[in-house]
Amino acid sequence: MEPSITTTRSRRLRRTSLALAFVFACSLSAPGLAKETEAEKAAKEQAAQEKLLQVFISEPYLELSTGPGRGYPVFHSVERDASVDVLFRRTDWFKVRDERGVEGWARARDMRRTKLADGSPFVFNLGDRDGFTSHDWELGIGGGDYGGANLINAYGAYSLTDNMKVELTLSQFLGNSSNGYKVEAGITHVIVPEWRLSPFLELGTGVVYVEPRATLVLPEDRTDQTAYVGAGLRFYLTRRFFVRADYRWHTIFTSRDDNEELEEWKVLIACFF
Amino acid sequence: MESSNRLLLLAAVLAATAAMSGCSIFRRDKVEQPQTEEQAAAEEEAEDADSTPPRVIEPNVARRKIKTPKIDNENWEIGVGAGFVSIEDFGTNPSYAAQISYHVTEDFFFRADLGQSTAGKTSFETLGGDIELLTGDERRFTYYSLSLGYNFLPGEVFLGRDTAMNSGFYVMGGIGSVKFAGDNRLTLNFGAGFRVLPTDWLAIHLGVQDRVFDSDLLGETKVTNNMEMLLSATVFF
Repeated sequence: MEPSITTTRSRRLRRTSLALAFVFACSLSAPGLAKETEAEKAAKEQAAQEKLLQVFISEPYLELSTGPGRGYPVFHSVERDASVDVLFRRTDWFKVRDERGVEGWARARDMRRTKLADGSPFVFNLGDRDGFTSHDWELGIGGGDYGGANLINAYGAYSLTDNMKVELTLSQFLGNSSNGYKVEAGITHVIVPEWRLSPFLELGTGVVYVEPRATLVLPEDRTDQTAYVGAGLRFYLTRRFFVRADYRWHTIFTSRDDNEELEEWKVLIACFF
Repeated sequence: MESSNRLLLLAAVLAATAAMSGCSIFRRDKVEQPQTEEQAAAEEEAEDADSTPPRVIEPNVARRKIKTPKIDNENWEIGVGAGFVSIEDFGTNPSYAAQISYHVTEDFFFRADLGQSTAGKTSFETLGGDIELLTGDERRFTYYSLSLGYNFLPGEVFLGRDTAMNSGFYVMGGIGSVKFAGDNRLTLNFGAGFRVLPTDWLAIHLGVQDRVFDSDLLGETKVTNNMEMLLSATVFF
């Protein structure tokens, strides 16, 4: 048989019909469950548009587990030279379907040893040290101190290059005299992304909203523009995780005569993907 | 036959060298050295021309370009839930929440929760008649939290003989904030949950979380524990 790179199937269609079937299942209980499988079959047979990646097993066999985790039992194996369709990926597991229609979960480490239809290796990002150096997205949560107030912080970053990232930070601060929120966008420059412990510099601007605590006699809430310059360290932990700690020096452009200057430090646990 | 081949090659080499020297006419003085080297190499090539036949056919095979379809990554999980939250001193009240998670590895995930409830009356208010500690708006209990979770006990559950669903028990902890009685407070949250996946993309959660914060509402500052129990449905995308 001529190896073809794609097979077709509509997962989105199946998903909507399954969602409907689930609503039925909730209301009708047992008979509803029977309907769900019927709906699934019908959707599978429906004209499919979405293309799936087909990979060929080049090791003696590919093991399929019942779930996306190391403890789930292996229930099926696909022999060498046979193919599987890659349905989707969740963390480091791939849901695949073999030529006989058996669906199961294959681990990323094993999928790395499969080949595409043209014989080239199946390459995808694996959460490892190389990924820490070079990746697209980052996501992190953490806490710290913002001018004496407690700080809760979440951030997301997109890598323009290995060194340069654009970053969006959402924060809430809770202090003795005032509370507030801030949203900031900035640029981060990782000086040597290859290093496990690697320093970075950052620069950005944003908006800060301050609401004085009710107990104090301060006139009103206010929204001001803010800008920051900072530096920090990022340390690769394991898999897709790293810790980042940074210090930012803020200038708040208030409507009063003087600008306000504030120091911020924080520690975050973050991941890349 | 052999000699005619050699003659042909020699002629070709001579023609090539002549052409090359012609090309570099403006830099003749510098060309001298490489030219002699090249000639020597060409002569050598001509000598073992018997073993390598001249190329006759240019291979005209276009390499097939394969476009690999993008793999669908399903690491995000979003959903809504309903349950109860026990606000310390203010009774147990219904709550509604939304959650979003990102699964980083098979073990760890990040999760953000956003929820709301309305506090009831303290026993002091109930017994005291007309006394109202908080206004209607202040009774609103709104919270969010950012947590890191760990899939502690992954497994499968069985419904009868034929149905097996993936499941998992997880623990989580994080920080966040609660807005209650007209003030925002920093909270620490920790809890655990049980998740069952009827299909690959749908999950049903039953989770319990404690949200801990300092409160000075009833006179002295104390640490309050606010237990929340939620039943939620989430989808992976």
